[in-house]
Amino acid sequence: MRIALLTEGGYPYVSGDAGVWCDRLVRGLGQHRFDVYALSRAAHQEEAGWIALPPQVGRVHTAPLWRAEEDGVSYGRRARRRFAECYEELAAALCEGDSPDATAPSGAGSTAQADRFANALYGLAELAHDEGGLVGALRSETAVRALERACRAPGALRTAREGRLPDLLAVVAHLERALRPLSLDWYDDQGGAEGASLGSVDLCHAASGGAAALPGLLAAQFFDVPLLVTEYGVRLRTHYLSAGGPPSPAGSGNTPSAEAAPAVRALLAAFHGRLAAEVYRQAACVTPGNAHARRWQERCGADRAKLRTVYPGMEASRFADVGDAPDAADPHTLVWVGRVEPAKDLVSLLHAFAEIRREEPRARLRIVGTAAGAEGRAYLGHCRMLAAQLFPYEAAGPHCVGDDPVSFEEVGAPEAPTPADAYAAGAVVVLSSVVEGFPVGLVEAMFCGRATVSTDVGAVVEVIGGTGLVVPPRNPRALAKACGALLRDPARRARLGAAARARALELFTVEQNVAAFHGIYLDLVSRAPVSPHVFDDDGEPHPFAVPAEARVPGLWIDLAARGTGRQSPSWAAGPPVGEAAPVAATEGAR
Amino acid sequence: MSGLGELDRPGAPGGSDALSDAGTDPDGPGPGVSDGRGPGVSDGRGPGVSDGRGPGVSRRGVAVDPVKALMHRHRDLCQRAVDPLEIAAGLEAHGVTDRTAARFRHRDVFSLAEEMYARVPRDGDTPPPAPPTALPREARLRPDWALLTLLPGALCAATLTGVRLTDGRTRLLVAAAGLLAVALAVHAALRRGPLGGPRRVHPGLQRTEAWTCWLLGYAALGDGLLRAAVDGGPDALPDGTSGGPWPFAAVPLLTLTLACAPAAWSAHFLALQARRRLNSSRGLEEFAAGVRPLLFAALALFLSALTVLTALCAAALDEPADCVPVVALGALLFLARLLTVHGFAHAPAVGIAVAGAAEALAPATVFAGRLPGCGFVATPVESLVTAWGPVGVPSLACASAALILLIHATRTLTRASAHVRTDQPC
Repeated sequence: MRIALLTEGGYPYVSGDAGVWCDRLVRGLGQHRFDVYALSRAAHQEEAGWIALPPQVGRVHTAPLWRAEEDGVSYGRRARRRFAECYEELAAALCEGDSPDATAPSGAGSTAQADRFANALYGLAELAHDEGGLVGALRSETAVRALERACRAPGALRTAREGRLPDLLAVVAHLERALRPLSLDWYDDQGGAEGASLGSVDLCHAASGGAAALPGLLAAQFFDVPLLVTEYGVRLRTHYLSAGGPPSPAGSGNTPSAEAAPAVRALLAAFHGRLAAEVYRQAACVTPGNAHARRWQERCGADRAKLRTVYPGMEASRFADVGDAPDAADPHTLVWVGRVEPAKDLVSLLHAFAEIRREEPRARLRIVGTAAGAEGRAYLGHCRMLAAQLFPYEAAGPHCVGDDPVSFEEVGAPEAPTPADAYAAGAVVVLSSVVEGFPVGLVEAMFCGRATVSTDVGAVVEVIGGTGLVVPPRNPRALAKACGALLRDPARRARLGAAARARALELFTVEQNVAAFHGIYLDLVSRAPVSPHVFDDDGEPHPFAVPAEARVPGLWIDLAARGTGRQSPSWAAGPPVGEAAPVAATEGAR
Repeated sequence: MSGLGELDRPGAPGGSDALSDAGTDPDGPGPGVSDGRGPGVSDGRGPGVSDGRGPGVSRRGVAVDPVKALMHRHRDLCQRAVDPLEIAAGLEAHGVTDRTAARFRHRDVFSLAEEMYARVPRDGDTPPPAPPTALPREARLRPDWALLTLLPGALCAATLTGVRLTDGRTRLLVAAAGLLAVALAVHAALRRGPLGGPRRVHPGLQRTEAWTCWLLGYAALGDGLLRAAVDGGPDALPDGTSGGPWPFAAVPLLTLTLACAPAAWSAHFLALQARRRLNSSRGLEEFAAGVRPLLFAALALFLSALTVLTALCAAALDEPADCVPVVALGALLFLARLLTVHGFAHAPAVGIAVAGAAEALAPATVFAGRLPGCGFVATPVESLVTAWGPVGVPSLACASAALILLIHATRTLTRASAHVRTDQPC
């Protein structure tokens, strides 16, 4: 099966974000053929080159998002009018008062609004496909004028109404950048036979939401290629977080800085929200990486029936030796492993350790990690000083050299050459973060078969299941009690460690990740035959390959329903139960 | 680091609140302190590594209006947020989870964020005060390009002096070297500053450059040629002096090269004022109405400077000079450059090409009129020359082209999108 892997600033590039994950996926599924469609984010990324690609990667198409060449096409009267209509609709959909997120995703108003946005988007894409020259048009005065009219229209967002001219221009520039994937040459009808276009693949797999999913969205619209969207971090949330942050360095993205006017941020947030909703609506399957991402996706309008959580896979072999070996750790040692930064709340850990020491004087704490950035280094210094104040040197007798109960180490130092050694050295592994996404360190500790005590943040509870202790964040006393309980009870430690290792090996290995995607691929493709099969080798259409039902216009029909409708005509037996269920659920929800 | 203040008080009761509420959280996977209840790992401890405080007890008065306190803590976030999801994302980045939200009697972070978003005081209809307009980088006259714009004029003056002082072969060499130097200097002056940086290299660029060179060459030699042609000449090639049979006019060249500086300054004035107008106006119509007079002012500024320069150059070079063709040509070139810099390359290319073609056609018709039976071809130009002198042809051609470009510019350069620099991120 041919799979188009859509990435943005990711996979084939050396400096990509999700490169490791995509690489494992591609290498793990050698029986399929992957075409990589990569959008690059910056010039330095393109210069850094690609990682080594396995043979199952067929073509690699790249396109820069950070620069756009105007192709010098200037529209005629008809094309200009078409563009103006589409852009006005887009602007109106963005400026409209209530955002679809605020109401329930099944509200009638939001459906109409989402339809408007989708129509505008596909209209622009078709225009780019037919005429070209979209980049110039998106920057043109027509666009500014349409946006101004939409902002001043009655019923527009309050913040949008207050937008001044520079704000409008900024929004137009940002939209032009965000819509650059529409102008790519990936959607040619003619390229179908040679396989140069997205129309010739069986499945589009977007490695993230946002810009990477946009080509997949168009492929789903133009060629009925099913779209699978994997989000380990929800793009919309990333947009909000980066939009609130400091101004981004030149050319590095599509997010306004915190200093940008409210109108700019409101309109761009609306755009990204609508885009996410449309992606979730058109995708055949959405795979969040954890329950947190899943909640965001549901919030943005993703249908529950389409969501399938696929946990990220991690390399378990590095920890196999430690996990299989009998516990040789010093029974009084606590270990913390990670990157030192304020969100990890080591101060709380040190306070908790002080409490532990009151009951268990032999306890040791090893903090293994490197500081990240200037803030992290300052924080590490702060923690060292606090540790020195809390725990003076101690000696066994009057003639011995003293020792520090808290040690700060780095991975790679002689005491802990690898992370696995660091985990192996501790009887209990502690995680004290106040903010956490997917806790990689915790999973590693689980692979090592360690008993863990962690704070209840991010996806910790979901990851640990019932195989470790969880305490509230910012509660050193609870942390101390939990650690003390484990330190005193080696049998319980062993039980929890074994259970944690079993759970991690079942849920968080690369193999389960790859197998899950393999199953999803087969599932999606079995439900959606695509257009290349419509033609035989001579380019002649197969009779009755596409029934009339496949071309029913309008967006009201569910994609799953469309798939079944195409496969089995109405006179055939009803759709299988497994497929009928989600359709019924959506209809019921509306 | 936000929580460090609380961390100095170990066992703050907020945590135990969260702990005891965790069981009521419908979304939560169960107990906040899961104690190894997985299959086969039950070991009997109750769900509490809690410090035994009862639920709802709070030293910090959280029960009064917990959300208000939270809003106070995140007031920047709340003030800045443009929708509830932004608050939700910000809260989560500060470690607020669904279990924390349960403390505020909300189902999840999203509904908590919605309440916070709804409760942010917004002062009705008054728009926020316009932020101080940050002037762009080119706000002040940078000395490097200011000097650079003076360079072509200086080099041209030096070349003319050299040509006047030398003779014969040396003069030819000096003229060639001077021409090269002036061309390079003009090129450099047009590469940066307000006259520099067309957004993209458009396909007809070289043709336009060639036509521009032709216009300049005609300004120097065309009048003499036309006069000689009408009189039956020319009898000899130009010798670089103004007295020969095919006289060479140095004044237009010197004036136009010197005019690089006022052109750059006028364009700078226009860019700066337009940027200011852009920051202060609310709508496109308002902006267009504000920029149109600015465009005329910039053009008037440049043309008056050009007139003065022409008179000065004529006096300095001791040549008779008519300022009309020089001013017309200068206006044409200035408007063309202005349009090109703002991204409208097509119209100036056409305008310059048409003017150049008209100037090429004028002597050609005169020469064609000498053919037997074709005398009528030369009649319009000859009557024009008798009426206004040879300067009538370039004046008419350039002025009409400049007028058309001006009309075009009043439509295009008053657009807001023309004054956005796309090469730098907004």
